[in-house]
Amino acid sequence: MKWITRESPKIDRIACPWLIRNFVDREAEFIYVPAEMVREKAKDLDAIPFDIPGVEFSHYEDKCTFDYIIEKYKLTDPALNTLAVIVRGADTDRHDIASQASGLWAISAGLAYNIKDDYVLLERGMMLYDALYSWAKHLQKEKHTQNPVDHIFIDVYNKFIKQKSLKRKTPDWVRELRQIIQDQVDSNLNLTEVSKSLDINPSYLSREFSKHFNNLSFGEYIRKLRIEKAIELIKQKKYALTEIAYLTGFSDQSHFTRIFKQHTGKSPSAYRKEWEKGNANTKG
Amino acid sequence: MKWITRERPKIDRIACPWLIKNFVDKEAEFIYVPKDEVFNKAKELQAIPYDIPGAEYTHEGDFCTFDYIVKKHRLLDPSILQIARIVRAADTNSFHLAPQAAGLWAISAGLSVNHKDDHAMLAIGMKIYDALYSWSKYAQDETHTWQSKKI
Repeated sequence: MKWITRESPKIDRIACPWLIRNFVDREAEFIYVPAEMVREKAKDLDAIPFDIPGVEFSHYEDKCTFDYIIEKYKLTDPALNTLAVIVRGADTDRHDIASQASGLWAISAGLAYNIKDDYVLLERGMMLYDALYSWAKHLQKEKHTQNPVDHIFIDVYNKFIKQKSLKRKTPDWVRELRQIIQDQVDSNLNLTEVSKSLDINPSYLSREFSKHFNNLSFGEYIRKLRIEKAIELIKQKKYALTEIAYLTGFSDQSHFTRIFKQHTGKSPSAYRKEWEKGNANTKG
Repeated sequence: MKWITRERPKIDRIACPWLIKNFVDKEAEFIYVPKDEVFNKAKELQAIPYDIPGAEYTHEGDFCTFDYIVKKHRLLDPSILQIARIVRAADTNSFHLAPQAAGLWAISAGLSVNHKDDHAMLAIGMKIYDALYSWSKYAQDETHTWQSKKI
């Protein structure tokens, strides 16, 4: 098949061709055209349009086109899942979800700057994903140091860090996790993905979580933050309740209303009315 | 000049040749040999040994060979200094030093699995550092997002 997308690719429009050619369609051919010509040319050339808004192969919520292809073709290779989080992190500017995303972004942005021909860039870029795939498959746990002295130094350093964090009683991952949740409270965070990006076993994370987060489970903690954010937004008076549900990561309005009521004892609209009333009184 | 180091390069032994070729010695030639032959071959070929304990050009404290070249040749380009930090972080497993290090390491380690020929690896690796340099100089403030909503 032919696949067509916007010109000047950087991340997703290189990573998707790599994924398609290696795991979906060996004979795939890729075409880059100016953004406004994609749909028209797709018809002309009988090609599948991808990574533009409004087509099937596109971004959905916080997921990018690479994720959609994995889902659509039910690709289950774990290395691809590792890659997907990195691609998504680099492509959607959420470098915090995978530690490799910033480096992939920097190298990809630089390659795009140096290579103006999209097809040369595609071939070069494919090598990056070949490399990331080999790394994910074989080397993810490997570390790199030059000589034994470095190893000793690093051991001591790690022990030192560990001791320090023991004294603090707050492990590093807890602080990191708190930050991730804070930053992404409006997205579909799930424990498995988060544990992957922290490089921590999911069941360990789930077990340890409540110790560090006020005895709340992962889900409870996120719901609590979302409701706190919703309350803040209600007070700003700038948003409709449907918008607030969306901005705080609830998939639908009734779910939002139900959870809100559980936490505050009132429905969002009742809460808003009361708050506005109380606020009007103080002004009066 | 000829420059010689251990075979199977990954980070420092790719980044240093890039730095040398672009900013120190345009005519430089790079040789990779088994670790225990580096000093013998260096004498024989009148090459400068680098990134191996006991050579002048090597790690120094927390700093890697790339850093030493930057210092020794007084390279002051801010983009080189930024890359030095990334290389050091990736090469010495101190990923906290630079956010780009984990990705550079993953890509470099993977390239080394896929390309067993050291000179092929060097040729590809050079493009990676060219890219990092351009990113640092011209593209680093760029961000990259768009989203389409499910209806």
